Amino acid sequence: MRTERAATLRVQNLSKRYGSGETAVQAVKGVSLEVSPGEIVLIMGPSGSGKTTLLSMLGALLRPTEGRIELDGLVLSELSEGRLPDIRLRHFGFVFQDFNLLSALSALDNVAIVAELAGLGRKAARARARALLEELGLGARLHFLPEQLSGGEKQRVAIARALVNEPALLLADEPTANLDSHHGHETMRLLRRIAKEQGKSVLIVSHDARIQDIADRVLWLEDGEFKEMRSLATDPVCGMTVEREKAVSAQWEGKSYYFCCRGCREEFLAGPQRFGKATARERE
Amino acid sequence: MGYLAWRNLTQSKTRFLLSVGGVALALALVLVLDAILAGFEGPLAAPIERSGADVWVSQKGVRNLHMVLSTLPEGVVEVVAGVPGVASVTPMLYTTQMLRGPRGSRSSYVFGLPADAQAGKPAGAWPPGAGEVILDSGLGQVLGLEAGDTARVFGRNFRVAGFATGLSNPLNGVSFLRLEDFARLRRSRDTVSFVLVRVGPGRSAEEVARRIEEEVEGVSALSRAAFARRERAVVRDMGADAINIMNLAGLLIGLAVMALVMYTATLSRRAEYGVLKALGASSGHLYRVVLAQALYSVGLGLGLAVALTLVLPLVLSALGLNLPLQLTWASLLKAGGMALVVAGAASALPMRQIAGLDPARVYRGGAR
Ligand SMILES: Nc1ncnc2c1ncn2[C@@H]1O[C@H](COP(=O)(O)OP(=O)(O)O)[C@@H](O)[C@H]1O
Ligand SMILES: [Mg+2]
Repeated sequence: MRTERAATLRVQNLSKRYGSGETAVQAVKGVSLEVSPGEIVLIMGPSGSGKTTLLSMLGALLRPTEGRIELDGLVLSELSEGRLPDIRLRHFGFVFQDFNLLSALSALDNVAIVAELAGLGRKAARARARALLEELGLGARLHFLPEQLSGGEKQRVAIARALVNEPALLLADEPTANLDSHHGHETMRLLRRIAKEQGKSVLIVSHDARIQDIADRVLWLEDGEFKEMRSLATDPVCGMTVEREKAVSAQWEGKSYYFCCRGCREEFLAGPQRFGKATARERE
Repeated sequence: MGYLAWRNLTQSKTRFLLSVGGVALALALVLVLDAILAGFEGPLAAPIERSGADVWVSQKGVRNLHMVLSTLPEGVVEVVAGVPGVASVTPMLYTTQMLRGPRGSRSSYVFGLPADAQAGKPAGAWPPGAGEVILDSGLGQVLGLEAGDTARVFGRNFRVAGFATGLSNPLNGVSFLRLEDFARLRRSRDTVSFVLVRVGPGRSAEEVARRIEEEVEGVSALSRAAFARRERAVVRDMGADAINIMNLAGLLIGLAVMALVMYTATLSRRAEYGVLKALGASSGHLYRVVLAQALYSVGLGLGLAVALTLVLPLVLSALGLNLPLQLTWASLLKAGGMALVVAGAASALPMRQIAGLDPARVYRGGAR
């Protein structure tokens, strides 16, 4: 029973320009966004559309050129550079595409060290890390090194690490890109469970359309701006989200299908019945 | 955070061995060269420092032992004895000779002293009888002589009466004859080389030396400390310069190797430090981790280097080589201190880049 609390994250008119003069790149243009506690927001968009730039600004990893970011009443865009590491440590949980675990540390220590950075004693940090990992089903993997874990397990360790300091907001950039579809989906369900059970806000950036169904809200970023999603379709072969106007298309049994490239279209036409189910995902 | 440093250091066995081994070899190079120098310089003035004489009186202008000729009329001995503050005087004859034995030959100081010498005599087997010689034990080894054997000195046979310890240096052995034997064989009946003085209780050697130079014609008089200092300076000028240059080169090479090892150790973890920074580690945290890693490397490397330096003489002597090595605290402190500074700086150097790194980079395929 989620009551309507104030938004966890409130972003107003956020812009980022890289470089200056002729070579300047306007990566994000006047983006506004609110995320409520327990809400899962998925930001999709083609490569180069500014997703990573936006996420980095939201996570206090990158200073915006313009705009205001407010997290739990704290105005990040007004804080001095020196305070940001501590804000990242306590208020954000980061999940990366390639996991970024410390290769010399066990699963347990990878999680515990982040709690220690936030000032917890070694023993307490390890106890908290252990509890979290067990909750995420990694009780038997506590003392494994990252290289001994599967991709899905590594991402779960990374999620435990993101949760260990009890942040209000989880930020994940392409969390499923290095996982097969089974583990990718499992990771997404885990993020959903965390959001719903613990009331955490989760912001995911991805161009993997297969994870749309776990999100409460899907936003489409293109050329640094949020756009309507209506003109989008899912390539039934590879699962990528494509824009109808720009995509290659084909007709089958009276319906239109859209593809990211000619290869997918040909594969589809070789045996359309194999991909028939994907039509259910098509957005009108 | 210490455990991250430790795991980073030890995670890969090969890298750990290369890292600590590299530091150890670098430090061992420094320590061994130092030990060679100390082994060489340490005993240089031993015959003076262990003489028990407070003041050495010599022919005017002679201010050390090595390669000098000092001749004083015998009468000077009594005159020196009369100077206020002088408690005892011992006449000494001195020259440098090639001594031969069954195993080899070696240049040696030869001292002639009266049986009742108050100073200058070695501890242990004293006095030698007529026709007997006392050898420093190091010299005895080189020559291959044992007690009762015959040594050739001044072209005559002398019976080895016993051994003195701790007087030889890498340049010279030391041997003792009776003053009378020395005088007879060298036809120096009415002269002495040095007068060894002991001063009375409460007297300063420097003060008495000055009085002697004032009151006795044609002599120089130096306190034991001053005489030993001159001796070292002379010998160092003759040979130790080369060792000193080697030593400096060794130190620079050792430190450079170590700096490279430590620099690489941090650099190879750059991406992971970048991740920690993105997660919220402060620069202070990161510096602490790499400095701890440098500390562990230097600690382990220094321990290993000391072990190597202590084992080396055993190995050398098993190979039949005689290289006196003397590991000193000063050298340990110097090597350890410099290693810490250099290793710390070298491992922290890449951190400057990481500290200046845009933390958003980890979201762009890591900080690589
Ligand atoms: N550090 C940077 N300097 C200059 N331009 C950059 C930088 N980072 C990203 N860009 C540019 O900004 C745009 C958005 O990039 P990014 O946020 O990585 O997009 P996405 O994550 O959606 O692929 C791209 O045109 C990219 O080339
Ligand atoms: Mg990206």
